[in-house]
Amino acid sequence: MRKSWLSDYIVKRIIYSIIIAWGILTITFILVRVGPNSPADKYLANIAARGGDPAQVTAAVEARYGLDKPIYVQYFNYMGNLFRGNLGWSFSTSMPVSELIKTHWIYSFQLIFLSSLFAAFLGILIGIYSAVKQYTKTDYAFTFLSFIGISIPNFWLGIMLILIFSVKFGLFKTYYDTTLPLFSLDNLKALVLPVITLGTGMLAGYVRYTRSAMLDNLKKAFVTTARAKGLPERTVIGKHVFRNALLPLVTIIMFDLGSIVFGGAYLTEIIFGIPGLGQISFNAIFANDYPVVVAVTLIGTFMVLLVNLSTDISYTYLDPRIRYG
Amino acid sequence: MTKFGILLALAMVFITSTAGCAKGTTVKNDFIDGESGGDAETLNWILAADATSFSYAGHTVDSLATYDNQLNIQLRCLAKDIEVSADGLVYTVTIGNDLKWSNDSPVTSEDYVYTLKNLMFSDWLNYPYKSLWQEEVDGKTVLVTPQVVNDTTFTITRQTVYPEFVYTIYDLTPYPKYIASNYEGNVEAFTQASEFNNLTYTGNLGPYRFKEWIRNDRFVVERNPEYYLGKDIGAPYFNEYIVKLFSTSATRQAALEAGDITSTGIEPAEVNRFRSMPNIKVYTIPTVGYTLLAYNQRANGWEGLKDKTVRQALSMAINKQTISQAILLGFAEPAYSFIPATSPWYTDEGLAKYGVAPLYDVQKASELLYQEGYGIKDNNGTIKAANKDGSPLHLILAVNTGSKPAEDMAFSIRKDLLKLGIETEIKLVPWATLLRQYVMNAAPDSEQEPGDNNGPEAVSQESWDFILMGFSTDLLAPSGSHVFFTTKGGLNFFGYSNPQVDELFNRVMSKEALDKGARQQMYADLSRVLSDEQPVDFLIFYRANVGFQKNVMGIEPGINMGYNYYMWYFEPVK
Repeated sequence: MRKSWLSDYIVKRIIYSIIIAWGILTITFILVRVGPNSPADKYLANIAARGGDPAQVTAAVEARYGLDKPIYVQYFNYMGNLFRGNLGWSFSTSMPVSELIKTHWIYSFQLIFLSSLFAAFLGILIGIYSAVKQYTKTDYAFTFLSFIGISIPNFWLGIMLILIFSVKFGLFKTYYDTTLPLFSLDNLKALVLPVITLGTGMLAGYVRYTRSAMLDNLKKAFVTTARAKGLPERTVIGKHVFRNALLPLVTIIMFDLGSIVFGGAYLTEIIFGIPGLGQISFNAIFANDYPVVVAVTLIGTFMVLLVNLSTDISYTYLDPRIRYG
Repeated sequence: MTKFGILLALAMVFITSTAGCAKGTTVKNDFIDGESGGDAETLNWILAADATSFSYAGHTVDSLATYDNQLNIQLRCLAKDIEVSADGLVYTVTIGNDLKWSNDSPVTSEDYVYTLKNLMFSDWLNYPYKSLWQEEVDGKTVLVTPQVVNDTTFTITRQTVYPEFVYTIYDLTPYPKYIASNYEGNVEAFTQASEFNNLTYTGNLGPYRFKEWIRNDRFVVERNPEYYLGKDIGAPYFNEYIVKLFSTSATRQAALEAGDITSTGIEPAEVNRFRSMPNIKVYTIPTVGYTLLAYNQRANGWEGLKDKTVRQALSMAINKQTISQAILLGFAEPAYSFIPATSPWYTDEGLAKYGVAPLYDVQKASELLYQEGYGIKDNNGTIKAANKDGSPLHLILAVNTGSKPAEDMAFSIRKDLLKLGIETEIKLVPWATLLRQYVMNAAPDSEQEPGDNNGPEAVSQESWDFILMGFSTDLLAPSGSHVFFTTKGGLNFFGYSNPQVDELFNRVMSKEALDKGARQQMYADLSRVLSDEQPVDFLIFYRANVGFQKNVMGIEPGINMGYNYYMWYFEPVK
């Protein structure tokens, strides 16, 4: 019975997701294309310095990439290609957009995945410990460190880590090395500083959220009952308190996962020279490379929708009382 | 001068070693060049207009010639220097007979002529720099005429004399006809051709061969043992030459300090710290880049800016020493015209050196403004700049965001102008906005497409009085700057017009200038007139600082350090 309504729900959500993605894609396409800027803008300084005619160059570049056609023609061409699985040609990097994404997604993924893992694992552990040992010196210390972690800007932290651990002590390379094999200890080592940079803020947040959610539940009657029944403290905390505290935490962690893809991860990519999707899309926006902008937005949209769907499904397992109509 | 020469020098800003030192040097290690100017757009260079694309491709294909630090021509693909006919109209180009494409077929003059005629001059490909190969004949724009003479010789014929056209030819780089002809007429196929996007055709034409390009990360070329200039001496001496991109100067400089990269540019504020490091050597070199303050003489600029004396007064109040010493920490020279002191065409005599004592004088500037009717005097005799009706002067200075020195310069100028009593509003705008809303102009109520100079009536979308902007000049062919300063100059966005300047630029690009002595005098006159007229306030010429690991040998600092970088080597371990 449960399987039936859940699969119906998933199908319905997927259909909604496709409609939402189409809407976002269309809005992104229009925003990028109706702006006053042109893909030729990046050339203008050099053209000007060499005595070229900027108007002529703008026209030439736009004609070369079909941007001189009416916007609705460009839109239908783009959508037609998209349905055939063709994401277009990136004119700011001179390669097919699909190939560009295929080459670069892994750099973002490994950074986001490891940072989230690092932040969620440590953050939850410390949060539980802080809640259980409330108002002890350790709790105060973790609280203090959490506020520092939340307040430190990624950009500053990353540069400080480089200066201390790479320049001063020579423990790590100053930048991420794309030549390292993906599944190797060297690659893992190269990701230590970026993961700390991206993960610290999240970790600190998770400590606070976990502590707060745990404390809420620790005061509830079912905890007193569990203790009165003589259950060991470890079972009370792990099975009863933590499981109930997990629901809001999952929401926050999943939300973070969606938001760091194009937010925090981009800054970390910048600092450590990681050529991930954040950098690619940022540069594409400034180059008015709309095939890349639209494709990366599409991926981001699907990721967020997927994360939301996973979150909703996970609720039904964490709290079997939850049902979706 | 040569496209790849200049762009390599600008983008990489390095290099040199002497042939004597390099002989017997063994090939080892990789050279990692840290850059933060953004990635290239394409390796299919004929489609590119950005400097980075040319610099990447330039590692694998030489142009016809370049120049050294003393500005002597250095032959590359040329077998001998270009011969110019006595009437200055026919250029005979002779290429080396040892140049080969990757399929081992020889590079011939047919490839060069094909590249010019069928690619660069074609309508279907839209080569961004086509205008460099055009001339005005009887009021019409026509292209020059290339023609094959034999396998290694071709000619380029003009109908009008332009003495500095030879430097455009030195830039020329060929495409292989045997590949390019397969894509002719189909811009999409040409744009996406794997041979051009992966530089698979380059044969022995460059010191390196393309290996890998990871966008926004690194561009890697590997040693080309067949390189026509290096095979006899074993050059180049690095296994790989890697351009590693950084997004910030802080991380780029940290990488040099930690020894993770071999070379990178150093910010002025960091130069002394890097100089004190035992493993780093910092070279300070002149550049061709300069910054100017354009005075808007169009209808939407302050009316006073049309008055030469007013422009002189403003330039007299802007302190160039503050900019070069306090903002750029001494890594800049005050500029007085578009020709830098490093150019052979520079003449110091007669230059009006505004902004430097004795022509830096705020009191005198105030008096000049008052004399022209743009000032009011209080009871103490103190002059305050004002409009002719006595109202306070509020002017607008536009500058693009993203350049800290440029922003600092803007604030320094505002402070200087405040001493005259002029309130300056600084508008920090993105580069594309600066170009489209402030620089480009069109006649009001017309159907004109906005351009950089749409005639005397044209005005920009946004009103402005000053624009702070970086330009560059060509040391050997400064006549290219006519686009900025002549009445019809394509980039004269500030609306300056002076028949004397127009005539001098016409003469310097005419048969009369084939005589180098005469040309020298014309450039001296141009510099003198422009420094006196102050259509813009030429502020400073930059000096660049480049840091290297100390074991990179043979570096000879100079204006074109990169001219023979294929001879660089690492110091052998003792």
